[in-house]
Amino acid sequence: MAGKEDKVLLRMKVNGEEAEVAVKPTWTLLRVLREELGFTGTKKGCEQGDCGACTVIMDGKAVNACLVLALQAESKEIETIEGLGTADALHPLQKSFIEHGAVQCGFCTPGMLMSAEALLRENRKPSLEEIKIGISGNLCRCTGYTKIIKAIESVSQKNREALTPFRGQ
Amino acid sequence: MKKRGLGVGCMFYGIGFGFSRQDISAATIEICEDGSVIVRSGEVDYGQGSDTIFCQMVGEELGIPYDSIQLITADTFTTPNAGPTTASRVTYVTGNAMVKAARAVKETMQSVAEDILGEGDLVFMDGEIRSEYPDKRISFRDLAKTCHARGVQIVETAWQDITTKDVDPETGQGDAYATYGWASQLAEVEVDTETGRVEVLRIIAAHDVGKAINPSNVEGQIEGGVLQGMGYALTEEIVQEGGYLKTGSLGDYMMPTSMDTPRIDSHIVEVADPDGPYGAKGVGEPALIPTAPAILNAICDALDIRVTELPANPENIKRLILEKGKEEEAS
Amino acid sequence: MQNYQFHGPRTVGEALNILSERGDGCRIIAGGTDLIPALRNEDILPDSVLNILEIDELTGISEEGDTIRIGPTTTFTEIIQSQVIKRSLPLLVEAASSVGGPTIRNRGTIGGNICNGSPAADVLPAVVALDGELELQSKALGTRIIPAAEAVEAPYQTRFNRDELLTGILIKKLPSETRYAFEKLASRNAMARAYMNISIVLKLDEKGAFSDLRIVPGTLEAVARRMSAAEKILMGRQPEDSLVEEAADAFVGDLAGVWIPDYKLPVARSVFKRVLKRALNGSGVE
Ligand SMILES: Cc1cc2nc3c(=O)[nH]c(=O)nc-3n(C[C@H](O)[C@H](O)[C@H](O)COP(=O)(O)OP(=O)(O)OC[C@H]3O[C@@H](n4cnc5c(N)ncnc54)[C@H](O)[C@@H]3O)c2cc1C
Ligand code: FES
Ligand code: FES
Repeated sequence: MAGKEDKVLLRMKVNGEEAEVAVKPTWTLLRVLREELGFTGTKKGCEQGDCGACTVIMDGKAVNACLVLALQAESKEIETIEGLGTADALHPLQKSFIEHGAVQCGFCTPGMLMSAEALLRENRKPSLEEIKIGISGNLCRCTGYTKIIKAIESVSQKNREALTPFRGQ
Repeated sequence: MKKRGLGVGCMFYGIGFGFSRQDISAATIEICEDGSVIVRSGEVDYGQGSDTIFCQMVGEELGIPYDSIQLITADTFTTPNAGPTTASRVTYVTGNAMVKAARAVKETMQSVAEDILGEGDLVFMDGEIRSEYPDKRISFRDLAKTCHARGVQIVETAWQDITTKDVDPETGQGDAYATYGWASQLAEVEVDTETGRVEVLRIIAAHDVGKAINPSNVEGQIEGGVLQGMGYALTEEIVQEGGYLKTGSLGDYMMPTSMDTPRIDSHIVEVADPDGPYGAKGVGEPALIPTAPAILNAICDALDIRVTELPANPENIKRLILEKGKEEEAS
Repeated sequence: MQNYQFHGPRTVGEALNILSERGDGCRIIAGGTDLIPALRNEDILPDSVLNILEIDELTGISEEGDTIRIGPTTTFTEIIQSQVIKRSLPLLVEAASSVGGPTIRNRGTIGGNICNGSPAADVLPAVVALDGELELQSKALGTRIIPAAEAVEAPYQTRFNRDELLTGILIKKLPSETRYAFEKLASRNAMARAYMNISIVLKLDEKGAFSDLRIVPGTLEAVARRMSAAEKILMGRQPEDSLVEEAADAFVGDLAGVWIPDYKLPVARSVFKRVLKRALNGSGVE
């Protein structure tokens, strides 16, 4: 029923670049990211906030892209997994996930990484409990979370060491 | 009141299809003129890590880095049928096909190398084929090139068939599976007797995997299996009403979250299987099988109540606690 | 999803105009954590959707004398991280922390939790226990203030008019030495719908007797309310064990229309006692 004329122009920043898309008011940010802009690293799981596979960072906060209407993202800065690192220049969290075997099927991984990244930006050295809370909206069916938690902990530990003042002579 | 309990769950589990059901797998290995190695197999890696261990196995046989191998899997157009990723069979069946194909290729290459170097007793390692004399060696790449130049066939397909005999139809006796995985898990739980809520504090999981081709992957399988087993024991339930699914969303079907994850101590036990690749067996399903029994036994240890219906969610545990209270009052 | 028109006003005035023009067919969206799933499932079919997240007047936490004003679009994360709330209304921090997971708390708002009117809301009962008031605005009625306890009429049905916008949640700072406790019971430790939650706010006089007491359970009844029967038994008396038992009986006896009563009633009795004890043993706000 809705034709092209029902579309509204949406402007936002995605991974640092301006994006302009004509969207229908009913579309979610998830749909726009995946189907209009091709950021398919952001996964579509439940589409109702239950799984966290669609987690992106919006204006610095981790959010479920399926629970943001596209037009609510007007003028916002969105970061997706595509902006986190590249195959040649992996983000420290991505490296750590690989080193710790924290990826199995990989479906939860982009969302996990975005949640972990949002956590580490607010809190450079989260405790074990804070890490568990930080990814508690991201379900994983494969790993039992243990290696994911360890991977994030290891980055937290490195941050901790980096922040320790040098006590040399 | 909070009560703690310990419980053990033990299992053995047949690897592969068993019971005379056809269980075949295959792999093709091709050595290209430039020395690159292409492995093809219909086996699909949906997260269990089989792609990694296949490369490890082929790399081990040919003495080349595992990450230099190109793997093409699960493509009906180009890969030989390897059967499905089920029954905890992939490492055991397809792993063997990989090793067989790699050894067949190696044998051919070795005979060419012997001819070039004029030496026997060659070893394939670090990208070279070496004799006992440091000056008599050839790189894997040069050897591949020479094989091609000489028109020697270095493409091999290997089949692995682990189809077993059926058991005796009269007595049910026999050896139904090609091999078996063994495991024990210990669970420590804390039960809130007021709410019926069970918190799993710790799982210790010991699994005989024959040989851990990739120990980190095996741990990952165990940890994931433990959490699946825990969900199965405590919260996951498919509810239907009048034929309609009532738990069709991840907000209704309660999988464990990171906040529910107990400490998991994995112990890899390696009792080599004589027929497994390097002794390896499977771990996929065994990882989750003993978890629910271990948890239910721990609940029994804590409450002296035997749970016979799953899930042992707060509602069911509280009901059993109340029933037990009534029975004790009556007697 | 049925197509609708999207409105993104920047001021309360504009929003009220749209609400008054659009009337029944218009739905307000804040964090969307309740509304978007409802739209997707076509539980609701609005012809326009009004986004209030870009209205600066509606967000943030401020102190106005002895009252704390919380903008309706303040997210749970903002509540948890607020020093003002931590100091003066710590119960709200506990209730907000129990909601969903971090992404839901980053998006979900306190106003949405109240206006959605869900029996399973975790923060609404805490607001009622804190004796919160709601400021509503509309073109037709101007500004009016109602107790949070009167906000919800029936599940998912508020007493607000269709053209009314919740513009503020007003809560008096707790007097010093006020004690409180909150507990949520669910089948898993995050992302879980509660079996029940209980918020208790109380104060003891110099003799150690209850001089102020509000007990509000959530998810037990269709609409969260104060449990006056139990409150009456305790008020003016000291919290002795036998009295607490009596109050627990009254608490459970007062509950009506509880789902899965075989489970929830006996458990609610225990959780009530537990939360009361925790409140009594707590140090209270400064
Ligand atoms: C995965 C998941 C987990 C959740 N877990 C919990 C939980 O543990 N506990 C819990 O309590 N809730 C939970 N929720 C529900 C939800 O997050 C909360 O109710 C939240 O507070 C809703 O706020 P919102 O801003 O997202 O509301 P919206 O969805 O934007 O709005 C909800 C309703 O309120 C109306 N509304 C919003 N603001 C106003 C206003 N200012 N004036 C008038 N009407 C208004 C809307 O029209 C709509 O009807 C969960 C939701 C999801 C998806
Ligand atoms: S797809 Fe968004 S939370 Fe599942
Ligand atoms: S790795 Fe498969 S869901 Fe997390």
